[in-house]
Amino acid sequence: MDAWTAGLTPWLEQHPLAGVFSLATITALATGLGALPFALMRQVSARGQAYASAVAGGLMMGATLGLIFEGMARGMVQTLIGVNAGVLFVLATARLLHRYEVAPDAFSGGDARRMLLMILVMTVHSFSEGVAVGASFAGGLPLAVFVTLAIAIHNIPEGIAITAVLRPGGISVARSAGWSVFSSLPQPLMAVPAFLLVETFRPALPYALGFAAGAMLLMVLLELLPGAYREGRRPIVGVLMSAAFFLMLLFQRML
Amino acid sequence: MTPVWALALATAVAALTAALGAVPLRIRRTLPLSWLGWSNASAAGLMLGGAFVLAREGLGLNPLPAALGAGAGIAVLLWSHWFAGTSELDLNRIESVDATYAPRVLLVQTLHGAFEGMAIGAAAVFDLKLGLFLALALAVHNVAEAMTLCAVLCGQGIQISRAATLAVISNLGQVLLAVVTYSLVVPAPELRAPVLGFATGALVYLVLVDLLPEAYEQSGETSIAVVTSLTTSVVILLGGLLRL
Repeated sequence: MDAWTAGLTPWLEQHPLAGVFSLATITALATGLGALPFALMRQVSARGQAYASAVAGGLMMGATLGLIFEGMARGMVQTLIGVNAGVLFVLATARLLHRYEVAPDAFSGGDARRMLLMILVMTVHSFSEGVAVGASFAGGLPLAVFVTLAIAIHNIPEGIAITAVLRPGGISVARSAGWSVFSSLPQPLMAVPAFLLVETFRPALPYALGFAAGAMLLMVLLELLPGAYREGRRPIVGVLMSAAFFLMLLFQRML
Repeated sequence: MTPVWALALATAVAALTAALGAVPLRIRRTLPLSWLGWSNASAAGLMLGGAFVLAREGLGLNPLPAALGAGAGIAVLLWSHWFAGTSELDLNRIESVDATYAPRVLLVQTLHGAFEGMAIGAAAVFDLKLGLFLALALAVHNVAEAMTLCAVLCGQGIQISRAATLAVISNLGQVLLAVVTYSLVVPAPELRAPVLGFATGALVYLVLVDLLPEAYEQSGETSIAVVTSLTTSVVILLGGLLRL
């Protein structure tokens, strides 16, 4: 790893913006890997969908917690404000989608709403991750590589979560992978300005982290959990979600 | 005051606060279903927030044993529910059911109290302030939980004052387990992380399986989602302030 970083350093020092952008793009592509497990599965029943939602919910809740703690380390009240803002954002978006009854390609209204909400939430969430990647470059190369790797790996369960919601709606694995990558595009897009304007972005970080966390938490509680309870057996939903939650926490710890 | 006595006192108070859950019933004989839903959602948020705060500390101590402990906690609860026959028990029926319903609901509540006590004890080993914080969070949680419990018991024909007493009694396991857990884990520092993890896993699982499911039907998805997430984030914030 050190030798690899050493080889990369001269290039990155000469082309910092390109370096930031390409590393952040790699993290975005990693999200698409989350669709891979689903390539191995066939049709998803309503019950299977419920359990997939439970797993997705657990992963997202784990990610939420990680984000909240990161934010709290940089500003408690700011993080809380961010969380509330994220909650309101998802509420407003859900209400908006409900009102316009968005239903592309003959999906049921509820399905389409859930999928759109998922993609929207995860995309907005990626903005704050992009900020983190960009800001980390100001802390030296090893930190930058570490953060990039951490976020790339963190993106994989997010891709799993997104695909878990898209697949039952009838979206193909390839398309789901595509949407997963799409939802992470804000990362490279934000990374460059964040790198250039580190001092400007630094105070925004706890708000951004809180926002992403709040949005995901509400997504889980509003869309994923109720659906899982409706179609799945409670103990199984409970076990799947709790297990996914703790695995995600452990995973984030180990990065 | 020694830590053990502080814990015993705190959890005893937390158990007693359950009696407050009967107060709304003295004002309104039949509670609207949506109130029960919000009560469940607040109880869920308080417990979840507490669990999250514990999860951070436990995983911070020693991630893998804590995570394994969490797995064990989930497994034990899964088994407990199966053993007691309460896996899919709807804890919120306020209309009259059969004679075994009230005892079964009380059994589940006692189970809750036991694991809450364990969580408080485990937290207190790590840091007494954390244990007391969790006792406080769970005391408020107990009020909300007891409101639902009393509504259910009264629906089964039990008098309000008797329901309140039963609610308190079902929480006394909290006191016992807090003290026992604390005493057992204090001399064994290597147990801190797994026991914390165990308690965290149990609490998270309880929220998901016992508190949230019916709440959605009682009050609608949106309000439940909002109440739960706001309550959870407040608890996490307070827990964070505690750390300072």
